[in-house]
Amino acid sequence: MDCRNELRPKPQDEDIMDIPLDDPAANKAAAKIQASFRGHMTRKKMKDDKPRVEKQRERK
Amino acid sequence: MAPKKDAKKAEPAKKAEPAPASASAPEPAPAPAPAAAPSIDLSAVKVDFTPDQMDDYKEAFGLFDRVGDSKVAYEQVADIMRALGQNPTNKDVQKILGNPSADDMANKRLDFEGFLPMLQTVVNDPQKGTFDDYVEGLRVFDKEGNGTVMGAELRIVLATLGEKMKETEIDALMQGQEDENGCVNYEAFVKHIMSV
Repeated sequence: MDCRNELRPKPQDEDIMDIPLDDPAANKAAAKIQASFRGHMTRKKMKDDKPRVEKQRERK
Repeated sequence: MAPKKDAKKAEPAKKAEPAPASASAPEPAPAPAPAAAPSIDLSAVKVDFTPDQMDDYKEAFGLFDRVGDSKVAYEQVADIMRALGQNPTNKDVQKILGNPSADDMANKRLDFEGFLPMLQTVVNDPQKGTFDDYVEGLRVFDKEGNGTVMGAELRIVLATLGEKMKETEIDALMQGQEDENGCVNYEAFVKHIMSV
């Protein structure tokens, strides 16, 4: 496994061991952000698929 | 454009009598419930949309009806809500749907009248995320405190925490967001996300 480190300079801040997998607060925050991302992607997809209908609804 | 009048008929779902403040302000969950959250009582939800909104919602709902029975599958409900500007978590939707089985999700169908109180519940959610919430959530990963996070780290977070995203979803999301150093300015990122 060590040879991998020699081939690639590891950016000192990119330590994946810092990811708080078990922290409920971190997971809750992540879920919230992911929800906004999913919302965005669904709306973007609908916009791309339906030019006229979507633009009409945009008046909200 | 055929005027869809059926949306305007008297709502039988409005069983809630004109109750005081508690009708409009839904009680937040009493305690941070773990996995098995109790289902929501949808009959107590006061549906309160304008006629214009109802038209919009009915139209969007119709777009998702692939069968032609004026209903949608349970598994489509989250996406319809997203299409209508909401950002529920998958867990929120599960709870609102009454914690359906995988089979229910695929096969149970929901009509527009049944959908409305569900949508209203999400609209009313006092814990809805704001711009600040999202920025603060991402700031946790801003190791240098300079307004950016490593795209690679963000990708790992999205794939391993919360409601894990798939690689294809993450790729679509991150497209064009990383600068030449692989960094993401997260405030700009969140603004972009919230613009649609």
